[in-house]
Amino acid sequence: MKRFIKDIKKYKNYIIYSTKANLKSEVIGSYLGWLWLVLEPLCFMLIYTFLAGIIFKQKVECLPVFIFIGLTLWSFFNKTVTASVRLVQTNKETVTKVYLPKYILLIVKIAENGFKMLVSFVLCAIFMIIYRVSISWTILWIVPIILTAIVFTFGVCTLMMHVGVFVEDLTNITSIVLRMMFYFTGVFYDLSAKIHNVVYRTILLELNPMANIIYNARNVLLYKSFPVGIWLFVWFTVGVLLSILGIRTIYKYENTYVKVMK
Amino acid sequence: MEKDEIAITVKDLHVYYRDMNRFSLKKNGLKGKGSGKLFKAVKGVSFEVPKGQILGITGKNGSGKSTLLRAISGIFSPDKGSINLHGNSISLLSIGVGFQKRLTGYENIFLSGLLLGYSKEEIEEKLDEIIEFSELGDFIYKPVRSYSSGMHSKLAFSITAILETDIMLIDEVLSVGDVRFKQKSYNKMKELISQDDRTVVIVSHSTKTLVELCDKVIWLHEGVIRDQGDPQTIMTEYEDFMKMD
Repeated sequence: MKRFIKDIKKYKNYIIYSTKANLKSEVIGSYLGWLWLVLEPLCFMLIYTFLAGIIFKQKVECLPVFIFIGLTLWSFFNKTVTASVRLVQTNKETVTKVYLPKYILLIVKIAENGFKMLVSFVLCAIFMIIYRVSISWTILWIVPIILTAIVFTFGVCTLMMHVGVFVEDLTNITSIVLRMMFYFTGVFYDLSAKIHNVVYRTILLELNPMANIIYNARNVLLYKSFPVGIWLFVWFTVGVLLSILGIRTIYKYENTYVKVMK
Repeated sequence: MEKDEIAITVKDLHVYYRDMNRFSLKKNGLKGKGSGKLFKAVKGVSFEVPKGQILGITGKNGSGKSTLLRAISGIFSPDKGSINLHGNSISLLSIGVGFQKRLTGYENIFLSGLLLGYSKEEIEEKLDEIIEFSELGDFIYKPVRSYSSGMHSKLAFSITAILETDIMLIDEVLSVGDVRFKQKSYNKMKELISQDDRTVVIVSHSTKTLVELCDKVIWLHEGVIRDQGDPQTIMTEYEDFMKMD
């Protein structure tokens, strides 16, 4: 762990510069540039609002905000996990040229997607004002909730990244699992109102980390409530443990990564 | 030139490739180290490079030269044996240069520099020199993927040549760009090399390069050292051997 902190300090500037450069390069080629950072979440929100509100006739207050919160957190998780599987391969050019702790690549990715998540949350706040969502100070709980999402994502992705180097199939598996999770996570419907069976409720809402994080984010942002239950804390702890395990694994095996790639 | 201080110590180095590249689940299950054949690329190489020495490494294709360089630069871990750099900073300069293709050359200079352990200020200081030496002009603000292969290599060379490290590892790179740039980089190389405290390891097939630049040459053959010593002698031997085959 000491080594981890030392390395983070050492590569801090690289992380910051690389994140900025990556974000810039992503928007520089397109006509609308930075606008896409706003347009993308906005359009997806509209699609799912249409789907949930008109086709599935969801009765949820402030549906757009409701969906926005789910979508913002889910996209962050989804994008980062998808990228992590092939991360070493995508950065082949750098990795084969110079040593860097491989999770640095992941941190750059998380910073990139985290920035997008931030933009999305700002939009979300604007919508909350438009819909006159009344808030209380429980809204501050969103900070530890986002933190949990980030730590948990990092933990999962370190391991995904490691296995992804060796197992090509992981790309396929991930895309299926993620799609399944997406529908079971209640991104565009209210999981807590739909499922009343205790067992299913526990499985879907508490044992599914992203569902729990999203559920609680909605609790604190929309319903003036505290996070419900201890599961948020559990998932935070699991996230920390996964991260430690992941970092250890990466330190141990990272120098064989390059040998595997052709 | 002081010869007592050692810059690189390589002791009984073994580097193996396991034939497990990107296996599928069908064959191996989830275990990291599957079956797979062991390919031994470097088998028990030991040598020392004194500070300030220019070491040449030669050998036929697949004799383990590049693997050796990568192991020294820290990209590969040795499977057996050890490499000690005695705290020197190191950079690897090789043909397939490592840039982020979507980013501009300008940004890549910073990224490479930061990875080599320079601070932003230090890079800014050298920035103009790098851009000028690379002869890229306004292309420096274009994404690297729009570069021709020559421009690519020129930029890579400029970055490594001007952001100096204590130890430089050079992999067949002296044949970069057009004739003029080749001459220029060759001269720059000579200039860099002539500094007393710089340690350089060059991998090359070119007798001319090795004889002119190096103090000592190691001839690798099938992962082991076949011979080492005076560049002229070794290169003559090597050339004779290659003709024989």
